[in-house]
Amino acid sequence: MLIYRVSRVLNLAHGELMMLAAYILISLTTLLGSHPVGALAGAVALSLLVGLVLYVVLMRRMTGELVIAAVLVTIALGILLRGVMVLGWTGRTYHPMQQLGWENKAIALGGGMTASTVALATVGMAVLLYCGLFAFFQFTQWGVRMRAVGENPLLASQRGIALHATYALAWALATLTGGLAGILIALDSGLDTTMAVVGLKAFPAALVGGLGSLRGAVVGSMIVAAAEVLAIHYIDPLVSDVVPFVVLIVMLLIRPWGLFGTEEEIERV
Amino acid sequence: MNAAAPLLRLEQVEVVYQKVITAVHGVSLEVPAGQIVVLLGANGAGKTTTLRAVTGFLGSDDARVTDGKIWFEAHAIENCPPHTVAARGIALVPERRKVFETLTVLENLQAAVPSGIRGRAARRERIDQVFDQFPRLAPARGRLAGYLSGGERQMLAMGSALIGAPRLLLVDEMSLGLAPRIVEELLERLVALKKALGLTVLLVEQSAHLALEVADYGYIMESGRVVLDGTAERLRGHGDVQEFYLGMGGGPDRRSYRDVKQYRRSRRWFG
Repeated sequence: MLIYRVSRVLNLAHGELMMLAAYILISLTTLLGSHPVGALAGAVALSLLVGLVLYVVLMRRMTGELVIAAVLVTIALGILLRGVMVLGWTGRTYHPMQQLGWENKAIALGGGMTASTVALATVGMAVLLYCGLFAFFQFTQWGVRMRAVGENPLLASQRGIALHATYALAWALATLTGGLAGILIALDSGLDTTMAVVGLKAFPAALVGGLGSLRGAVVGSMIVAAAEVLAIHYIDPLVSDVVPFVVLIVMLLIRPWGLFGTEEEIERV
Repeated sequence: MNAAAPLLRLEQVEVVYQKVITAVHGVSLEVPAGQIVVLLGANGAGKTTTLRAVTGFLGSDDARVTDGKIWFEAHAIENCPPHTVAARGIALVPERRKVFETLTVLENLQAAVPSGIRGRAARRERIDQVFDQFPRLAPARGRLAGYLSGGERQMLAMGSALIGAPRLLLVDEMSLGLAPRIVEELLERLVALKKALGLTVLLVEQSAHLALEVADYGYIMESGRVVLDGTAERLRGHGDVQEFYLGMGGGPDRRSYRDVKQYRRSRRWFG
């Protein structure tokens, strides 16, 4: 979403990048077994670095090329990453929470509901990240520049904004937030190679909300999540993975540019 | 011509689109420091292409400067990328899409503050300078640039270009779609800025009337060539300029410049 907003490139390797961050955490935990916090911080920092390196080494060449070519490159990247991860960390399921020596206690919420500690942390982190990103785009020099580049890269470069630096920052931020998400999911429900599906589910959420809109992403994910939970409860847990895409198809039929998107953006995808 | 060393000098510049179509055939012109120079010509005469050749915008249109030299002081800048050119101190106000429409007026200016300026206070000072130069923008600072009127948009575009304290300002078709009064006001601002900051300006215009009032020197382009040049005064008095660009004297059977005389061709064939 972040990358799309700034560079109009849809990053289809987002799920794999989330997963990569979680696997990095596994390795760091084994390396720095005694410092769980250090391992966490290291994994987060590395995921930021991964974004930077990816842009500089791979995506930088795609600036100025057709957007569809860049999107295809991200698909290839996703496939490659998945392969590398299976080779490097094998396909078995990890439980980083246990490796870190922490317990994922269930906390009772009022009204007979329970939630795990990590799930609550995830929600808190999401709120924090959203506010952080919002403030970044709204108030900081680089945030405003990023929005400027997103609207009109040519004019931005003429105004002296360095395009490559801006795109690299967008990639770094995207892998950082994605990485955080991946780590939290891994902490909550374990990690294996199917996690990329969660990343895929982010697309219905982003598309329902309208690509390129931060507000839309939040509302979109709420709608998708609600639909999923309702389906698990009333229909069958097995259909839950399909629901986001059903919502997506319905949405595409009614309002293809999403809730908060603009009509012109649709031609670009 | 002018004794002072020119800030910008084009030498026999040729621009070719998609490796086939030649849009500019050997154009030479000079913009002396501290002056306003105007480049006049009808639609398709190659004015905008010439400007784009200077700013490095050509690459995105699959065009290149295939011959000739563009000097900005002692630097050859032909085929340089836009942000390099901007960093050298050349700012462009483009013809269309000149502001970031999804950003507010204030954010437009914020985005344009060069990264070399550190600290919130220093940045704010630069922005306040623009509001001083264009007082009409100040009350609109919170509005989205997409909702501005044409005149305000032009002011914002000029303000964003000036915020980086450029040495040379290039303005493409400033008068397009604007009421003559606003154009006059904007040109007056330019003259004031030229005097106050020692700014050098290259204007590209179709309507010669107002531009020749403020300019020091003018070039007239036809079909990708400079066909006539001289001081603004001389051009204003020139019979053909009056007829074809100032709308004086020409009857209903107005002809194109080309039909009348074989003007001095570009000098490239004679060295």
